[in-house]
Order: sequence, then structure tokens, then C-alpha cells
Amino acid sequence: MTEAAWWAVARSEEISADKPHNVDIGDQPVVLWRDDKKVVRALEDRCPHRRAPLSLGCILGNGAIQCGYHGWTYDGASGQLIDIPNLKSDRKFPPVYKARPFAVHEDAGFVRVCLDAKAAAPAPDDRVLPLSGTSIVALDHEHWIAALFDDPSLVLSIKGVRFSPYLLTELSEQQGKLVLERSCQWASPHWPAPFTSDFPISLRIATDPVTGETDLTLLDDEFRALFRAVLAPVPAARGVTQVRWRAALSPGRHHLMAKAMGIGTPFRVFDHVDGAALRVLKPSASIHASDLRESIVTRKSGPPTAQEAAA
Amino acid sequence: MLDVQDNPAPEVHDDPIAVDPRQFAAKVNSWLPHDIMLTDAWFPLAHSFAVAKKPIRRAVYSHPYFIWRKPDGSLVAAETHPNDQLAAKKSEYTDEAGHYPVIEKYGYVWGWLGKPENAAPEHIPSIPYLPEDGGLPLHMLGTVRFDCCAPLSLENLIDLTHADFIHADVVGDEKMDKETVEVFHDSETITMVRTCVNKSVAPIMKIFGGVRDDVQQVRQVIRIYLRSHAAIAYGRFSPGDNVQLFHPCVPETRDRTRLDYAMNTSNVKKTNLFRYMMPKASYKVSRQDSSMTSPQSPRYMRPEKRKDLHSPLDEAGQKYRVLMLALAERQARGDFTYRDNVSSDCSDIIGYEKA
Ligand code: FES
Ligand SMILES: [Fe+2]
Repeated sequence: MTEAAWWAVARSEEISADKPHNVDIGDQPVVLWRDDKKVVRALEDRCPHRRAPLSLGCILGNGAIQCGYHGWTYDGASGQLIDIPNLKSDRKFPPVYKARPFAVHEDAGFVRVCLDAKAAAPAPDDRVLPLSGTSIVALDHEHWIAALFDDPSLVLSIKGVRFSPYLLTELSEQQGKLVLERSCQWASPHWPAPFTSDFPISLRIATDPVTGETDLTLLDDEFRALFRAVLAPVPAARGVTQVRWRAALSPGRHHLMAKAMGIGTPFRVFDHVDGAALRVLKPSASIHASDLRESIVTRKSGPPTAQEAAA
Repeated sequence: MLDVQDNPAPEVHDDPIAVDPRQFAAKVNSWLPHDIMLTDAWFPLAHSFAVAKKPIRRAVYSHPYFIWRKPDGSLVAAETHPNDQLAAKKSEYTDEAGHYPVIEKYGYVWGWLGKPENAAPEHIPSIPYLPEDGGLPLHMLGTVRFDCCAPLSLENLIDLTHADFIHADVVGDEKMDKETVEVFHDSETITMVRTCVNKSVAPIMKIFGGVRDDVQQVRQVIRIYLRSHAAIAYGRFSPGDNVQLFHPCVPETRDRTRLDYAMNTSNVKKTNLFRYMMPKASYKVSRQDSSMTSPQSPRYMRPEKRKDLHSPLDEAGQKYRVLMLALAERQARGDFTYRDNVSSDCSDIIGYEKA
């Protein structure tokens, strides 16, 4: 399942042509860098010579990556070995002499990697989200997403926004995504949520069933988007989750609190999760997540539904 | 006591390296260094100066060694600390008193791991450039540690192309006109001779050794005593001073290595800073090696379907693997004999130029 998925393993600004960058997709270490044409390349972060991490090596002027241990040098696109400097010979290496390549796709400020090197590129994404960040959280991917569904305040904060326990829609499937809407309040004096008749804002969460990549939209009560963000949680080694995000405030926010979102940092994804609070967090919205996920994924691998065919 | 002379000379078909290339390759690629535990060997557990009245603790494959000197200066290597009231049961590697065979040579205290009755002084490796009774000044001695398994550390050492990349700032980069690697072996040792023509001068020799040229002729020898996990690293540089390093890799556990090194720089003029700085380079160089061998180590703990890829420069490393496996297989069959003598002077083999 994860073989076919595109994982947003880095933000564009994290990958340079100066130094290789290491990330994981689950237990699979990946090295990323930009070649001489600024194209992002991804190989298994393991030199097939003596298994050293390629991310400890360097990027040569021709855009190839050189292992830091004995200097074996690989082409980024194919993973093919192109040089062993100490051999001082121009002979070609047999095709098995290669590091495992992965497919890479970069747009909308994210670098996405698919473990299947031959995967077709994902649908283009032309969103421009200027704010961004990375948090590495000691909580596994599935539980991080469940916390996002059940109480977003454990994993992130939106400036001036208080998440209420009340949902406008429970988790359900919409166009292949897991979607829920949560009522929110401004963090200003007001009646407590249990006694509130109408909430001024709501948070819509739409999550990819496989990768957990999530679109967050904060809407006011006239259905105007105040803020949107893309969260990309990627499972890493030892049950850690790497969360990259990009976000943008909408122009023309009217409410005073909505205006104030533009001052300082409007959005944070936490590096730490409060274990005591998490342990007693009541599973609610997340309860149906795994069933929904399964039904979406099995249907996707089968023939398309009428709705999908129409889309 | 085991008598080396009495062993029949190894027959040609006994040489694990002289088998058909496919069998050889299969052995190379079945390399699981974490699973190798060789016994009936002397391990250089401590510099002589480090052992005094108070017991110090060392380990070989997690077997504890408590080493101290009795008032008459004689050595004890015991399995349990004298103060340990809860001492665990005795292992098969110690005598009735719980003591391991122990011996002092070349400025080291060597502990035997193996059947005590097989411990013989002739199984101590030959190290031509260390004085047999020790006494090197302290600035030539030191300890560094690796968080990897000892055979990986030795595999690192025997492929010196790595030095051109991770130690370039100390010993010079890969730029040279020509490089040749020759490999010799017997059942207990492997020796690699690397000759480099017009190689970039080692920065440490430029900075401290007074070498003014841009290139130098280099002949480096790595000789590994397989069972003891101990290596000789001998380099001849012209222009430049010869480097005489004893590089033991004691497998304290299967994934941790201790290196009590001796870099004998008494061949270097007393007025030359290189004499004092070169031994200290070990602190830097060992961290550079560790940056690779440490992440490598867990990747060699479990059988791996994918074969490592090799180049002609890996001949020594590949043979090292096969020879280690051959010894391990022989030991698994109950054969602990030394078919080759490790203590006979190896000066000629390493091309040692006596000062
Ligand atoms: S491990 Fe990469 S070149 Fe040797
Ligand atoms: Fe090294």
C-alpha cells in the first residue's frame, strides 16, 4: 500500500544542492538532494557497496551523489553507479551496480517521494502556501492522525482559535478523503462551548486515507476561508512521525480576532504531545477512521465508482 | 599446550580463498560479522601502564576480565572482581580459581579467551616495531572506541581507499597517478599492501612533519591477526616519516570495539612536531571512521537478501571476510588449532625498515 503512495517527505526549502538530506518513509531511509539542474533526487539512503548512509556523502558539481566512505558515485535519476574514483578507469559498470532509486515530484512547496520508482506523477498542485514548518513528533503516524481527529489542540494550534468538542459532521468519506468539521470559538471571553448556540468558526479537516496528508480549512460562519494549511505527516523510524506543513492566511479577514491572526505566528504543529492528556483522550471521531480507510482503499484498488468515473 | 610445529601444513584445498569463484563470492556475501565469535586467541586488553594494584575491568564478547597486579608485579586476569559477593557461575574460559591466562608483551596485557590449556605464548601476534618489553612514552599510546562490531572496524581499516575520503583532511585525498593493492594471507592473517604513486601529501605531514612537496610516494601495509582482531598499520612515506601503528580492535561486545593503540613515532626526529602530533591524530581519525562504521553496524546484524557490491579494490576486504568465516566454521567443528604461526617475525612480510 505504501509502495504506491506519494509521501511529502520534505519542504522545497529543506533540500539543497549543497548537502544531502536524510528522511524516512517508515523504516525506509531516503536521501534527498538537488542535482546540478536543481531537480530533486531520491535514492535509498544506503550505499550498496558497504551500506553506509549516502546522506553522509556529498553532492558533486555534476549533480551526482558521492558516498562519503569510499567515494562511489551515483546518478540521481537512475541510481546507477557512475564512478569509483580510486579505480581511475572510465569503464562502465554493470546495471546491477546501482543504488535503489525512488520517484520524486516537487510542487506547491513540497517534495514528494514514491517508493515505486516507476510511479506516475501525482496530480499537479498549484497552491502557494508561504508559511511552512517541520516538526518531528515522538508519536506514531496512526495515533498522530487519530489525535488530530479527536482533539487537534493536542497536536497543533491556530492563533486565536479554540477547538470545541462539538462536530458539525462526524468523520465520513468525501471524494476519497476522510472529512470532518469541528466547531471552534475565538479565544476571547464568551460562553463556554457546552452552552454556545452558534459557533463563529469551524475547522474542516480532509485527510488522505493512506498518507494522512491533510487539508485544514478554517471557515467563518459565512463560509469564508480565513486560513488554510496542508499537513503532511510521514511515518519515520522508531514510530516517530515527521510532520511538514505549509499554510496561508486568507486576505480580507473581517472579525477582529481573524485580523489578529496576522500578527506573530498564526500556526504551529507541536514537537511534543502531552502524553498524560493523550492517554485519556476519548476516541471519538477517529473511531471510524480505520473502517473508512479500508473501504476507500479497497474500492480504489477495484473498479472506479460511478462518482469517481464522473469526476 | 598446543604445538604449532606439530600441525600438518595446510593443504591447498584447505585454503578457503583458493576455491571456485562462485563459492568464494557466496561466502563474501554471507558476511554476518555480528555472528562471528572466535576463541582461542590472545586479546590486547590493556596497555601495561594501565594495570596496577586496583583491578580494571575489560571485556571480550561480554566476558568480564578484571585485571590487576599482585604485589610482586605479576598479573591476574579474573572473571570476577575480588569484591563481588554475587559472582555468577564460572565460565569454561577460566581455571579453577576463575582466572584467565594472561601474559605481558609489547607493552600490553594480553588476556586469553578460549580453552585455558591451549593458551600458548606463540599465539601472540608479531609486531615488529613495538619493543617486546613495552616502555613507549605515554604520548604514543591512547584509547579510542567504536560503536560497531570489531570485524567491521577491521574491514574499514583494510580498505584504505576509505582514508582518501573520510580522512582526506589528515592523510590526503584520492588524487594520485596510480594505486595498486596486493593481498597475502594464511589461515591466521591477512596482509594488504597498497602502493600509491604521486599521492597528495598527507596534510598532517605538511603541517607538522615538515614535508614541503605536493606529492609523495606511499606504501601502506595493513596486516590483521584474525583471531586477536588486532592489526598492524605500517606506512612508508617518501618524502615523510614512516608511520608505525598497532591497531587492535578488541570486541568488547559484538557491537562495541575498544582500541588501545600504540603509535610508535620514535623513528621521527625529537625536534619534529610530527612525533607528538601523529599519535594524537587517532582521536580525530577514529571519529571519522566511526561516522561510517557506526551506522553500518546495525545493517550487518541480520541476514540481508541483497548482496554488497564489490570493486577490484575490495580484494582484501573480501578475503578478510572469507578467512574470518573459515576460522569460525573450523571452530564450530571443534578445530581450534593454529595452522599458521602468528608470532614469527613478520618484518619481511610488512617490509619493515628498521630505523
Ligand atoms: S560504502 Fe559507499 S562507497 Fe563504500
Ligand atoms: Fe579509517
